[in-house]
Amino acid sequence: MSSLKRIIIIGAGPGGYVAAIRAAQLGAQVTVVEAQAVGGVCLNWGCIPSKTLLSLVDLGERARHAQAWGLTFEGPIGFDLKRMMARKNEVVQSLVKGIATLFKQWNIQHVVGRGELVSDRQVRVTDIEGGISLLEAEAIVLATGSSWPQLPQFPIDGQQVISSKEALELVDIPRNILIVGGGVEGCEFACLFSGLGSQVTVVEMMPTLLPTEDADTVGILTREFKKRKVQMALNTTIQDWQATAEGIYATLSSEQSVVAEKMLISVGRRMNSRGIGLETVGVKTGSREEILVDEHMETSIPGVYAIGDVTGQSMLAHVASAQGKVAVSNAMGTPQAINYDVIPAGIFTLPEIGRVGLTEQQAKERGVNITVGRFRYGGLGKAQAVGETAGQFKIIANEQNKKIVGVHIIGAHAADLIHEGALAMQGGLTVTDVADMIHAHPTLSEGLMEAAEDSEGQAIHQARKRSNLA
Amino acid sequence: MEPQDLRYHKEHEWIRVEGNKATLGISNFAQDALGDVVFIDLPDVGTNLAAEAELGEVESTKATSTIYSPVTGLVVQINQELEEHPELLNQDPYGRGWIAVLELSNPAEVDALMTAEQYDAFLTSQE
Repeated sequence: MSSLKRIIIIGAGPGGYVAAIRAAQLGAQVTVVEAQAVGGVCLNWGCIPSKTLLSLVDLGERARHAQAWGLTFEGPIGFDLKRMMARKNEVVQSLVKGIATLFKQWNIQHVVGRGELVSDRQVRVTDIEGGISLLEAEAIVLATGSSWPQLPQFPIDGQQVISSKEALELVDIPRNILIVGGGVEGCEFACLFSGLGSQVTVVEMMPTLLPTEDADTVGILTREFKKRKVQMALNTTIQDWQATAEGIYATLSSEQSVVAEKMLISVGRRMNSRGIGLETVGVKTGSREEILVDEHMETSIPGVYAIGDVTGQSMLAHVASAQGKVAVSNAMGTPQAINYDVIPAGIFTLPEIGRVGLTEQQAKERGVNITVGRFRYGGLGKAQAVGETAGQFKIIANEQNKKIVGVHIIGAHAADLIHEGALAMQGGLTVTDVADMIHAHPTLSEGLMEAAEDSEGQAIHQARKRSNLA
Repeated sequence: MEPQDLRYHKEHEWIRVEGNKATLGISNFAQDALGDVVFIDLPDVGTNLAAEAELGEVESTKATSTIYSPVTGLVVQINQELEEHPELLNQDPYGRGWIAVLELSNPAEVDALMTAEQYDAFLTSQE
């Protein structure tokens, strides 16, 4: 442990609160400045709320399916959104309390208010009543996150035109909803609302949903969206729209018109780098207003660090946490560099998506000669047993040395299953290593082993494809 | 033995020709090989298809496979019942499990397809 050092962290999201606890573990005296709830967007208005609701939709849909397999209910299975929201609030509150408890245990001081740099060692805090206090420290970590969309063409009114924040607080299921943006958030909400019974239209400017994901994943998700009767307007923008008492009337660039009770804006998050004193101190920002940092998460001003969404790196909670740990380790005198090579990510559509490393397209663009192994969920005994047969495992490896360069899973529990691929990549393992490791039966994890075997045409339970029968 | 009045393609599709129109579906062998069908992605009415072009996709609990159009034509009708009841493909592949109706562009193509007898022999040869 190094000698006691004072650290101020501005923002208590998944970047800031993790950095705070790690800094305290390393012996720092930590003050966290946060105007809103600890846990940030992720915990209060993002990841956790949406997963709580999606898990209920998933459960309801599986229960309905299972009625054909012998599961009986007294009445029809439905969704009571008011009670679902109450459950969501309970989950969030208990996790928020958990962080507060950890803060107490590590003697982390939470100052409620907005923090702003006044020098490279000082932060001015403005509380809700306008009271001002000045804090001092040897190191400062900026973890201010990103904000909800504020696009001039789609002003959020919180009623008819909403962001994910309001979408996660609705208590009445909208009859129909128009989602602007077919990225991660748009696709997750499309699943949530279609599951609740809303008629969903997703408008995406690019030619596919989830434009940065592997094409196999996107293909399967697109089919799942068709099953859910989600209308997809791809390669399409919103030409014109108006809000009336009856709802939103939108005209798409395809000339199609859409009427919807709500319009959810799932594009255009902005980094929260304004109003936090960057100019005062001379912290450099980039073209997207992101705070520029080096591999130690240090900004252009020594002793001032930045982590999470505001650095514009990847907008993932777990990356913010990793950056936070690196930042405070450096602040406490133990040099550490961030490594972005292996970043697993989950997309909580129905079914889930898990991904790590390069997509097939990215590998080809980089001129890597690759092998591709695939295996369908339907070929797994476990998937058949639990009735989760939609989906695929895909493993991409360097053809020369067989090292895994990417894994893409879509199907039940994909966001959990992806970590075997991530660990294999972190350890520099090959597809043969994965194929040779004994996998427990019956599990969904066998799918990655079979996909690895398929790289060499040796998957044992490869389903017969009709086109291969002739 | 397969229905005598149909013509068959080696990818296991069948067509029933009436005038300049052809109804098509997948064969009993195909539905059996696929297993329980859970979803079929149907083409849009108005799509022009070349012979052996992709007509749609069928997903079962075991596999996903492409359905090919055995002939060139324009999709004039699709079996919307399959959207809610894809299991009809398994239950009645030559009847209520029909997939689409095409307007034939080149009726002569039909002659190149297998008769029921030829298709049976083809299936036997594949075993």
